[in-house]
Amino acid sequence: MALDYRKCAEEIVANIGGAGNVVSAAHCATRLRLVIADNAKVNKAVLENIDGVKGMFESNGQLQLIIGTGTVNKVYDEFLAVTGLTAASKADVKAAAAAKDPLWRRILKVPGDVFVPILPAIVASGLMMGLVEAIPKFWPAFGQSDWFSFLDLVANTAFALLPVLVAISSARVFGGNIFLGAVIGLMMVHPALINAWTVGNYAAGEIPTWHLFFFNVQQVGYQGHVIPVILAVLLMSTIEKWLHKKVPEMIDLFVTPLCTVLITAFVTFTIIGPVFSLLENWVLAGAKWLASSLPGAVVMGAIYPWTVVMGLHHMYNVIEAGMIAQTGLNTWMPIASAANFAQFGACLAVALKVRNQKTKSVALPASLSASLGITEPAIFGVNFRFMKPFLCGMAGGAVGSLFGALFGLGAPVYGVTGIPAIPAVNNVPLYLVELLISAGVAAGLTWFIWKEDAPAAAAPTEAAKSEAKAPEAKIEVPTNTVISCSAGEIKAPVAGKVIPYTEIPDQTFAAGVLGEGVGIWPEAEVVVAPYDGEISSVAESKHAIGITGAEDMELLIHIGVDTVAMNGDGFEVLVAEGDQVKAGQPLVKFSKEKIKAAGHPDVVVTLLTNSDDYENVTIHQ
Amino acid sequence: MTEFKYLIQDPIGIHARPAGLLAKLAKSFEGTTVYLTKGESTVKASQLMKLMGLGVKAGDEVTIGCEGGDEAAAAEALEKFFKENL
Repeated sequence: MALDYRKCAEEIVANIGGAGNVVSAAHCATRLRLVIADNAKVNKAVLENIDGVKGMFESNGQLQLIIGTGTVNKVYDEFLAVTGLTAASKADVKAAAAAKDPLWRRILKVPGDVFVPILPAIVASGLMMGLVEAIPKFWPAFGQSDWFSFLDLVANTAFALLPVLVAISSARVFGGNIFLGAVIGLMMVHPALINAWTVGNYAAGEIPTWHLFFFNVQQVGYQGHVIPVILAVLLMSTIEKWLHKKVPEMIDLFVTPLCTVLITAFVTFTIIGPVFSLLENWVLAGAKWLASSLPGAVVMGAIYPWTVVMGLHHMYNVIEAGMIAQTGLNTWMPIASAANFAQFGACLAVALKVRNQKTKSVALPASLSASLGITEPAIFGVNFRFMKPFLCGMAGGAVGSLFGALFGLGAPVYGVTGIPAIPAVNNVPLYLVELLISAGVAAGLTWFIWKEDAPAAAAPTEAAKSEAKAPEAKIEVPTNTVISCSAGEIKAPVAGKVIPYTEIPDQTFAAGVLGEGVGIWPEAEVVVAPYDGEISSVAESKHAIGITGAEDMELLIHIGVDTVAMNGDGFEVLVAEGDQVKAGQPLVKFSKEKIKAAGHPDVVVTLLTNSDDYENVTIHQ
Repeated sequence: MTEFKYLIQDPIGIHARPAGLLAKLAKSFEGTTVYLTKGESTVKASQLMKLMGLGVKAGDEVTIGCEGGDEAAAAEALEKFFKENL
């Protein structure tokens, strides 16, 4: 009775022209939906008779195989494994790479893996939040304005609800369903729970508590937390995968998610959460004790960023408030500022030193936001990922804290660090020196100790991609769409004046024999990919290139008219047949001068050769 | 499968214009698939890009195969096309 999912998937792959013929794969409740590169390689008769395939049809350019509820996801998993496609291949490659590392390294890698995909959100929000919250420190009236209130809401959304982003990203890392992951994340910041940021305002007895079996669970949310969320989603993904294997197919679709969410929620609130708040309280007590002595301040300045990694830093308000109540001076702030500013310094050093454009583009804004006291983007996005900058930052934080404690720096306010704290400190020049020392030590150490890794370490594919792109940064990539149709939009492959294909100075092209499209009188000498796709052909004489895109769009980019006669002179092809290319990636370099010298028009003919297959083919000039 | 061989005469070979015309023609036979072979590589003649990718030039010998439907009629039409255009 039970279906051999692996065998089923393998047979499907064998009869659709192999893994290389699959553009993308997805599944719905009952069907495996495949986008096939070359439909001619699909052996339909055999496909229909594979054990497990209940039927097949083609629709919307997809080959859809009916497999059935509860089974399709298992066949899909095997299918991904067999073909090495997307999700599975990513996870597999990562797992394979990670398997070689010792356990502690693998554990340290997790926050980075989780945070890299959500960096755009937290870098943007962190920077905005730093700026928005810094302005009232210098211009108090702004703090009362509607604009402040509005901008603050926009800026802190990603941070206030950070667990949701972390949960979704974690689900991807651990191979769980991302929507179930989202549910777990949302649950942990549910509005019915007391906000973790404000829980300090409640007396111990006031916090509502659930009594579940023998657990007493305080109804407190996990705003600002990272590690408990990652753990919860790790648990969820493990349960989900285990249940998928054990639960009979018939009921898998509703039993598995239901049980997964229920068990995860229960364990999260009864065990993970409380264990964490216990740890948090210990750390808090430890931090308080440390901050009260000079050597302690140095240690605290060093380990502070670790508490940010753990998501504990939001609790320090309690320490700061306590200090102000006791002595009127918040001496915690200089420690936190030193630690944060050191992370800024380390991140800035990375930004200046790194050659990888992608890392640079993250590190720069991340360091800026760190200087304003929001260090998450710098820590998770850069320093912690590369580890050495993080450690250099710890050193900077320790030295800065020592300085701050020696000179008795402090402030009568709490909740700010870095530049926004300047107006509040008791000695501005000394505080500035402290910041300089912290950042300087961290940046200097990072500059000399940290070396840009071979791309393998952090994010292999991304790093490699941006490495490859880096030298081509100068090329101007046109953004105007020249052809659009039901299958998508096609950007101009080269900048220049666009004319309809009917005006191309060549009978064949103008007659539309090769499909509809445009000619472009080029203003540049590099043809770039007009969409993500695969190079389907490269003419031997290098002057023409074919590129297959979404829904089998076949685009011909033919540089010049009759330029086949030039036999490749004046053309340099940068890709090969079968290459996967990204929109904007340079494909062919050509010399306008040589084309002119050979007596040919240099119009870049851009035709959708199978325009008959699509609806609403429109040309944009 | 009905096949015939042809020695390309046109100096430019199966490129843009002739390739486009050939692909159009190859597509026009309902139920018949047209293959074109040069040396080791075989492509479907209806696929313009693959066709051009072969880089067929004057002096190359290609084999044209028709499969399914009215093979004979398709082969005849194709042979005429090659003689006129290539």
